[in-house]
Amino acid sequence: MTSEPAILTHGLTKSYGHDDAVRGLDLSIGRNRITAFLGRNGAGKSTTIKMLLGLIRPTSGSGTVLGKQITDAEQNRRMRQRVAYVAEDKSLYGYMTVEQTINFARSFYSDWHVDAEKKLLLDSELPANRKVKSLSKGMRTKLALLLAFARRPELLILDEPSEGLDPVGIEDLLRTLVSCSADGVSVFFSSHQIAEVERVADHICILDKGCLLMDASVDQLRQSYRRIDMVFPSPPPEREFQISGVKRIRTAGNQVRIFSSGNAEAVVERARNLRVVSVEVAPVGLRDVFLETVREN
Amino acid sequence: MLWYKAWLETRSRFLTSLATLTIFSSIFVHHALYIACLNTFPCPEEVRHSGWRSEFHFLLFVNQQYVVLMWILAVVLLGMGGLLREKALGTSSLTLTLPVSRARLMRVRVAMGIFQAIVLGVVPWLAVLIISFRAGMPISVAQVGFYILLLVGGGLIYFAMAVLVSSLVSGEYTAPALTFGAVLLGAMLFDNWLRRFNVWRLVTGDFSIDRNTFLLSKQVPWPGLLGSLCVAALMLLASVIAVQRKEF
Repeated sequence: MTSEPAILTHGLTKSYGHDDAVRGLDLSIGRNRITAFLGRNGAGKSTTIKMLLGLIRPTSGSGTVLGKQITDAEQNRRMRQRVAYVAEDKSLYGYMTVEQTINFARSFYSDWHVDAEKKLLLDSELPANRKVKSLSKGMRTKLALLLAFARRPELLILDEPSEGLDPVGIEDLLRTLVSCSADGVSVFFSSHQIAEVERVADHICILDKGCLLMDASVDQLRQSYRRIDMVFPSPPPEREFQISGVKRIRTAGNQVRIFSSGNAEAVVERARNLRVVSVEVAPVGLRDVFLETVREN
Repeated sequence: MLWYKAWLETRSRFLTSLATLTIFSSIFVHHALYIACLNTFPCPEEVRHSGWRSEFHFLLFVNQQYVVLMWILAVVLLGMGGLLREKALGTSSLTLTLPVSRARLMRVRVAMGIFQAIVLGVVPWLAVLIISFRAGMPISVAQVGFYILLLVGGGLIYFAMAVLVSSLVSGEYTAPALTFGAVLLGAMLFDNWLRRFNVWRLVTGDFSIDRNTFLLSKQVPWPGLLGSLCVAALMLLASVIAVQRKEF
């Protein structure tokens, strides 16, 4: 097994006129893990994914996916043989039936598992003879996911995979992602559903305004990020808490709330020196980490 | 399976065009036989008037004019679609993430279009050949072959033009409107200033027809056909390059 990252980019930039959709992105996505790609609408997630798959050309910078240069058309084509991708809009050929779509996709990949296809088709209750254009959005999403999961690719790239799915579908999707990862498939997916991300992801990348703000493991986030609520006898000076690791300080009268990415012990120590009345240190969920990170930016 | 996709995408346009062209040619030749044979059909030898043959061949020449018009309409519509249209519909991300090069996607689409264009040229004239043979007034296979050669060999430039425009413009109505505009404008301009290079006249047989017998009796206009094919090939090459450079 190779130790080379599944996705590696250096200074990847995409500009449209004077606007940078992605700015100097340095990304390293390890193999055999589930990496979530988070960001607000228009943060540059889909643009990044499109650059990785050769749909659009970077303005500058370089990148590799499974060791293949993304800007080299032939290398990119060979890479796509080993990558399964589900696009954000889940668009499929409306004039094909479900069965024709599956047969069409199957013909391009040697890693297609007919047994997995049959099981997924049965589980998803997709009508094999119905035209894709007459399927509901949820059904189309299920079909798009079936085309990706019926294979055993080295890398799964999913753009908003749970969009349009009902809770049962989302649950099945998350279970399949974990199972794929356990089978050695690297998963890279973008999502706005932070609760889902928190359940399955091993690693988080946060993109905002085209810049990578965070690239950390979920365990690392859980261990280092803290919310510290303190009450003082009188309003304390904020500058006392402006130390390394402190991301945000909110003061309301005698109460202070600090959001830190580390160094929580030092904050508590300083608070004690300022005769704090009460201190409460709590772990922070991914949702708060995300919100604080993008707000700070 | 790319062939299958290309077929599914174009089959309704193709089959509608094929049916229209074949039915039109069949009805037209049936009427031509009826007129040439003094309004008697089927037509025994003794009722035919002396000039029926040139009259009949003139009507076949007229048939070619209508066939060319409808054939161009059909091949322009067959040339529409492709990756730019898929981008507008949102399916280009699925097509372009298949492990297939953009050049191959284009090659398959163009090859399917050329095959369909040939069938659209051959089948209506085959219908004409069969109907006239059954009526006892057979026309020579060489004449039919000549008409088909002119139509397909010279006319593929219209298909190539449609592919090129649809590789540059994505609008559902804009691309065909632009192509038809270019076809019309080209025919008018060439007819006024460069009549010798007017593809329309080449394709309809205007340069090859004998005005007395109304048979295509002159030599096959190879320079015109080859020139037209070369321009068509250049247009298709430009389409491939345009699609390879395009961002989706």
